[in-house]
Amino acid sequence: MAASTDAPPGARTHLPGEPGVWVFILGDMLMFAAFFVVFVYYRRQDVPLFVHSQSTLNQHFGAINTLLMLTSSWFVALAIHSARAHVAKLCSRFFVLAFLCGLGFVVIKFFEYREKIHAGIMLTTNDFYMYYYMFTGLHLMHVLIGMGVLTYLTSIARGGDFQAKNLNVLESGASFWHMVDILWIVLFALLYLMK
Amino acid sequence: MESIFSLKVTPLWIILILATAVSWEFGHGFGFGSHHNYATVAVVLIAFIKVRFVFLDFMELRAAPLPLRLAFESWAVLVGGTIIGLYWPGS
Amino acid sequence: MNTRSQLLCAWSGFVFTVVFTIGFWLVANFVPPPSPNASAADIAAIYQQNTWQIRLGMFLMMGCSGLISPFIAAISLQMKRMEGSPSILTYTQLSSGSIGVVFLILPSLIWTAAAFRPERSADLILLLNDLGWIVLLMPFTSFVVQNFAIGFAILSDKSVAPVFPRWVGFFTLWVAILFVPGGLLTFFKKGPFAWDGLFAFWIPLVIFLTWYLVMFVFLRKGIIEQARAA
Repeated sequence: MAASTDAPPGARTHLPGEPGVWVFILGDMLMFAAFFVVFVYYRRQDVPLFVHSQSTLNQHFGAINTLLMLTSSWFVALAIHSARAHVAKLCSRFFVLAFLCGLGFVVIKFFEYREKIHAGIMLTTNDFYMYYYMFTGLHLMHVLIGMGVLTYLTSIARGGDFQAKNLNVLESGASFWHMVDILWIVLFALLYLMK
Repeated sequence: MESIFSLKVTPLWIILILATAVSWEFGHGFGFGSHHNYATVAVVLIAFIKVRFVFLDFMELRAAPLPLRLAFESWAVLVGGTIIGLYWPGS
Repeated sequence: MNTRSQLLCAWSGFVFTVVFTIGFWLVANFVPPPSPNASAADIAAIYQQNTWQIRLGMFLMMGCSGLISPFIAAISLQMKRMEGSPSILTYTQLSSGSIGVVFLILPSLIWTAAAFRPERSADLILLLNDLGWIVLLMPFTSFVVQNFAIGFAILSDKSVAPVFPRWVGFFTLWVAILFVPGGLLTFFKKGPFAWDGLFAFWIPLVIFLTWYLVMFVFLRKGIIEQARAA
């Protein structure tokens, strides 16, 4: 843990980011773990309703968003590696690309919600859609917070100062964004694919 | 530039995209015939394997202090296991 | 000296959590909450059968909620040390925290009104019961702002020996996010997002009390260290 922050990942142990941020990340992951378990538990009580409602989801939107999330996470990982190599231009560019993927995610969610609302499907339509709107909505809130974080990281990267202290901030923010990605991977499987 | 793309994270990204495509197919009835419940278990398993690799290589927990890594790995195992356990006998 | 009054203010937050829990939980027996799906007759029966307990419990809840003010003032003083001058986050915390007090006192008065004439029509009791729960659990807005102000102040503390550990800052931000689902209780009469559900009631309640205790512990520590350094 004491290993300096700009040590390559090959160093024996290295805690990405500052310790405190992991309190937040683990806390959020516990909240979403509760969401996932509650969803599967209530799904069991009424499988036909959940399967039928799921078939009215637009699967393509969900799949494209998964690809966007994975790709943005990849960009963020590349940005961190560029920061370690002290390549400011590349680093900030990767953060911007990750941000754009996040933006794409938000735009697609907007169209997805719009399609549903136009079809008269609301939060109160049935239990499946209650979970769908609540979970994806709270996840979307995390995406928006994450985009704010990515903007902040971009400004640090543009500054070109990759001292240990700044690298630590970059890693903290990057870890948050990866968490947002992880939560979506599970949400996609549960809401869109589980039969 | 090239050295950046030759990092481990890039092949991982490609694998994650492929895994998404595979679970998409499973989710649409490919490969398991009428056994949709096997397909769902496969989808959930793939999701949590993806999650684990994002933990290890994007979040860089592979090199993190052991307690932190264990906390995340157990999250994946416990949450994934509970989901499959709750799903299985019910369908 | 100043330290003694600061400590007193910090302790008042602790006393609040204890008395609030006793009044709300043990005396009024409002945990678990009545279902938002229950009929007017069922809800009226609660107020008719537990009239005295509810009156006394609400008296305790109302009576201790004022203790939040000195607690918020103590947080503000320590935040000022983190922020330095100008202390904009401190003022944000002070004002949003004060608004938060109102939303802890109001429900106890509304439920008191319900228990004041339990013989009135069941529909009216149902209305007051709804109102009390909605006022207690829905208004996350000032709590979220307050927690964000505290969280950012803790994280912006650049001194060698920070007033609060940084993880408390991240914890405070996380708590802010957990209050949000309660705001959506307006859409649900049953399930985990209804006001008697896991995400609108149980998690916010436990987290709210835990956060108060964490704040109390580190506030006390901060005040004592401030005195030692002076």
